[in-house]
Amino acid sequence: MAAPGRRCPGCGSAELLEDALYAQQQLVCAACGCVLAEGLLTTTYSEEEHRREVAYSQSTGQKEQLSRCLQRGIRRVQDLCKVLQLPTVFEETAVSYFQRAMQHPAFHLVSLEKKELLGGCCVFVTCRQHNWPLTMGTICSLLYAKQELFAGVFLSLQKELGLSVPALSLADLVKTHLNSFRLFQHSADIPAPFVEDKEKMVARTLQIVELAGETWLVTGRHPIPIVTAAAFLAWQSLQPGTRLACPLARFCRVAGVDLPPPAHLRLKELLEILLRMASQLAWLRVFKLDKKTVVKHIGDLLQHRIFLLKNAFCVEEEEEQHAVALGEGSPGSPRAVAQEKGCPVGIKHRQEGGTRPLLPPCLIQPRKRLRMAAPSAVDSAVSGDEPISDSEIEQYLRGPEEIRAFSKAKAW
Amino acid sequence: FKDDLSTSLQLFTPMSPYDLDLPIQATEDVVFSSQFNQPKELPTDFSSVDLSFLPDIAQDNKEQNLSKDGNETQKELDGSIPRNEDSSGIMDESSLSYPDATQPSPEASGMCPLTPMTPMTPATSASESSGIVPQLQNIVSTVNLACKLDLKNIALHARNAEYNPKRFAAVIMRIREPRTTALIFSSGKMVCTGAKSEEQSRLAARKYARVVQKLGFPAKFLDFKIQNMVGSCDVRFPIWLEGLVLTHQQFSSYEPELFPGLIYRMVKPRIVLLIFVSGKVVLTGAKERSEIYEAFENIYPILKGFKKAS
Repeated sequence: MAAPGRRCPGCGSAELLEDALYAQQQLVCAACGCVLAEGLLTTTYSEEEHRREVAYSQSTGQKEQLSRCLQRGIRRVQDLCKVLQLPTVFEETAVSYFQRAMQHPAFHLVSLEKKELLGGCCVFVTCRQHNWPLTMGTICSLLYAKQELFAGVFLSLQKELGLSVPALSLADLVKTHLNSFRLFQHSADIPAPFVEDKEKMVARTLQIVELAGETWLVTGRHPIPIVTAAAFLAWQSLQPGTRLACPLARFCRVAGVDLPPPAHLRLKELLEILLRMASQLAWLRVFKLDKKTVVKHIGDLLQHRIFLLKNAFCVEEEEEQHAVALGEGSPGSPRAVAQEKGCPVGIKHRQEGGTRPLLPPCLIQPRKRLRMAAPSAVDSAVSGDEPISDSEIEQYLRGPEEIRAFSKAKAW
Repeated sequence: FKDDLSTSLQLFTPMSPYDLDLPIQATEDVVFSSQFNQPKELPTDFSSVDLSFLPDIAQDNKEQNLSKDGNETQKELDGSIPRNEDSSGIMDESSLSYPDATQPSPEASGMCPLTPMTPMTPATSASESSGIVPQLQNIVSTVNLACKLDLKNIALHARNAEYNPKRFAAVIMRIREPRTTALIFSSGKMVCTGAKSEEQSRLAARKYARVVQKLGFPAKFLDFKIQNMVGSCDVRFPIWLEGLVLTHQQFSSYEPELFPGLIYRMVKPRIVLLIFVSGKVVLTGAKERSEIYEAFENIYPILKGFKKAS
C-alpha cells in the first residue's frame, strides 16, 4: 500500500494502487493511470525509503554470503556482548574472531554445542585482550556450559588462531568481583553493621590480595576464592568489634555472592601468613594472637608488610626444602630466635623459631609421599631383544578347565 | 667442577679424541679397561673432577659394553669422557689450570653427543648444565601384528585380558614384567603403554605379541615405533608462573582457572612442558629421549630466572 497522504501529481487523486507490470512493482494512480513510482531498485529493507542508514549486517547482502549457522553464531556473540555490557569495539573484535575460527578447518565439524561455546570463547578472549576482567566461570554460566568442554574449546581456539591471551589482571578482578557484593548500600535485608564503604573495602582487599600474591598463595590457584577470602578479611578488619563473630559462609550469604569451596582453605592460609607476620611486630608479640584476634591488626600488618615479610620468612635453601616438615609453634610466644635476619642454620631452629622459608603451600605440606624411585639397575639393563621364556607367557593363558568353566559362566 | 669438565673437553680439540682412528686406542683399552667395567671408581689423581653427577652415562657405558662387545668403536666413544680424565693425567696435570679456565667455547659442547646410537645424557653445555636429569615415566609405542584378531577369543583364552565391546573396541591386556598395558585391536594393531624406557617398551610389546601368538594367531612384529615419551623432574625451587607467562607469552598458556600448571609449548625441540609452581616439570610429546633432555636443558635457565627471591 502506498504511504497515506500521497496524491497523484497528475490529477491529485488519493486513489493509489500498487500494481505489477510484468512482475515489476509500480505505484499507479487509479484515476488517471499515472505511474508514480516503479520498481524497487534497492535490495535493502523498506526502511531505506525513510532514508535511514542501514548497517551492512542488517542488509540482505551480508545474509546471502553467510551460512545460517554462522549468522546464528554471530547473533549469539552479539547478544553475549550486550548482556555483559561490553563496549562496541569488543563486539566487532569478537565477531571477527568467531568468523575466523569458523573458517578454520579445525572447527568445521565440531558439534553444535561446541560451536556455541566457540562464540563464548571469542568473547572471553576479546575481554582478556583488553584487560576486561571476565572469568571463565561467568561465561560458562551464561552459556550453560560445562567448564571442561569450555576449557577444551578455549585451548584449541588459542592454538589454532595463534591468539595471545594475556593473563587475568587480579587487581581488575578484585574491583569487578567486589561490585557484585551487596554490602555497599543500606538495604532492608542487610543488617546495619554489615554495610561497608566501598572504597575502603576495595583498597584493603587489593592489599590483601597483593600480600597473597607475594606469599605464593595465588600462583596456580583459582583466583575467585582468593578474592572472596581477602574480601572477607578486609571486611572483618574494618570493623572487627561487630564482625569477628560472623563466619565466612554467612558473610557470603548476606553479600549475595557464591561461596566457592576453596575459599575456606585460602582463608586459613592467609591467616597463617598474617600470624607469622604478626609475630615480627614488636607491639603485637605481647598479645597471644590467634586466628580470630589477628584480624584486628590487619591494618597495621598491611602497612608494614614489606618489613614483616622479610623478617617472618627466610630465604629458602634448596637442599633443605624437602626436609622441612613444619610444626605450628604458638605464634604469640616471645621469640628471640625470630629476631635474627637471614636463615637460621638448622632445620630445628626453623621449626621452633617460627620462621619458615617462603614457599608455596604445596611444598610446605606435600600431600603425596615423594617417591624418590631411581630406576633400578635391573630395569636399565633391559635391551629390548632378550629372549622371552615360554613359561612366562603361559602364565597369562587360561587352562582348558578354566576356559570351560568360564564359557559355562559367561555363555560366550 | 662443571667448568673443569668443559675445559678438559676443550683442551682435547687439537687431539681430536673423537676421531675413530686414534692411534693410542689399543693401549688405552688395555690400560683403562678397568675404567669401563667399574665406571664409578675414578682414579684418585682426578678427584678434582667428579663424574658422579652423570649416573646414566656410567650405566649406559655398562649397557653398551655388555650388549655390544666387540664393537670397539662404541666402547671408545662411550669411554671417552672418563678417558679424557685419564689422558689428562698422561699429559701434564700442572699444565691444565682448572681455576683459570676460560669460558669453554660452544664447540666444546657440540662434541658431547658423540654418536646417534648412544643414548647418552648430554653431559655439559656451553653454559653450566642443570645437573638434573629428567626421569622417563611413560612410553607409548605402537606395533603391527599384521593379522586379523578375534578379540572375543583372546579375551576368553587369556587371563590378563579384558574386553568390553560396548565400552571400547579393543582388548586391554596387561603383563607384570615390564609393568605395562596394551590395547589390542581386531585389525592387528597394538598400542603399548606404561613402560619406563624404550627398551622396556619394546620388550613388553614383544611379550604381548608372543601371547597373541600362543593363542593361535600368526602374529608378526612389524613397524614397532615409539609414539610418545613422557618425562618428569624437579628443579627444586618454586617458580613464579605469572612472570613466566608475561615474558614468554608466545609459548606459554597459564590459566589458573583451568589448570594449576603453565603449559609451555617449546618449538625446538617440539615438546610440551607442564610447569608447576612447586618446581616440578613434566615433559611430553617426545619421540626420542634426547628431545626430553634437550627441552629440559633449554627450559632450566629460563626457570632459574623466575626463581623469585623472597
